[in-house]
Amino acid sequence: MENKEPLSPHIQIYKWHISSLVSISHRITGIINIIAITLICLWICIISLSENNYDAMNLFLRSFLGKFIILGFTWSFSFQILSELRHLIMDLGYGFQIKTSRITGLIVIFGSIILTVVLYLLGKSYI
Amino acid sequence: MVKLNLPENSKVKRGNYFRDKTGSNNIRKVNVYRWNPSTKENPRIDTYEVDMNNCPSKVLDILNKIKNEIDPTLAYRRSCAHGVCGSCAMNIGGKNGLACTTPHSEIDGDIDIYPLPHLKVKRDLIGDLDGLYKQYQSIEPWLKSNSKTETTEIYQSKEDRAKLDGAYECIMCACCSTSCPSYWWNGDKYLGPAVLLQAYRWIVDSRDDERKARLKKVADELKLYRCHTILNCTSACPKGLNPAKAIAEIKKMLATANF
Repeated sequence: MENKEPLSPHIQIYKWHISSLVSISHRITGIINIIAITLICLWICIISLSENNYDAMNLFLRSFLGKFIILGFTWSFSFQILSELRHLIMDLGYGFQIKTSRITGLIVIFGSIILTVVLYLLGKSYI
Repeated sequence: MVKLNLPENSKVKRGNYFRDKTGSNNIRKVNVYRWNPSTKENPRIDTYEVDMNNCPSKVLDILNKIKNEIDPTLAYRRSCAHGVCGSCAMNIGGKNGLACTTPHSEIDGDIDIYPLPHLKVKRDLIGDLDGLYKQYQSIEPWLKSNSKTETTEIYQSKEDRAKLDGAYECIMCACCSTSCPSYWWNGDKYLGPAVLLQAYRWIVDSRDDERKARLKKVADELKLYRCHTILNCTSACPKGLNPAKAIAEIKKMLATANF
């Protein structure tokens, strides 16, 4: 007999909550970070080759798109760091109560935004 | 393999609409997943208008009302109706739980009822849990004692007994395992929260003599370490247990053990 039993809906219907959202974002930012690190290496290679390259890259990074990419990477790194700390605490066996995990999840989400702003201001040497 | 979309034969279509015939002024719409194995059609969502003035407080009461008064063809599992047997586990309002212990007042708007996620559907709200039971069998959930005397009881201190609290209460309803995205994508290899909680229950039992063997058996990239602390399991558990914590404890034991 052919197997015609349908598969019940899963990710389409399951409600998101803080800890599942942080978990999937952790994976996504992990992939973004790999791309980011590769691009940073390329960037260093390019600007070290000639002064023209340096000027061109500078122009690009000062454009809106360039700034958006830099800020995006900064957020991605911030998120990954904070989420990784959360994972480390969980590996020690703490923070598994639903309430605690929600609070730590929210800290990761909002903390990553705050950290991005702080890093941006630091880079602009406003702080 | 991660497959986000449902296969072609599993795509859900709009189904029938059952208008209220009681003339009640307190109506709630209940959307229920339906699939009939004797037809070749895809699953569908039937919508029922249910008179809430004459309906007790739990989601299972709604289902009983639909089956008794509106549509007797609806199929679902239920037995004790008191959160002890675990038969009526299903996905209610986007979250797994027992229909008999979930109050419908906690759900806003229309009530969506689906079978437990990512299972082969046998009919309507009945999912196939064979795989999970086989995995449960694989951890050998019984006491293994080397003691030669089988006639005397094995004493356990109060402290040792307390270690089983939060693990022995599990009713194997599968709410946790079927809420876990890791279990959805790797359910054939990853044991899932329900079975790992039971594995933990036997690992920490002071009367059991096979602790090391049990730990070794479960120490596997796929069987255990597919848990990425998403915590869907803990938030789904209708008995308020914490499978994610139990899995973390197993990982900790393995990290500190020297075999």
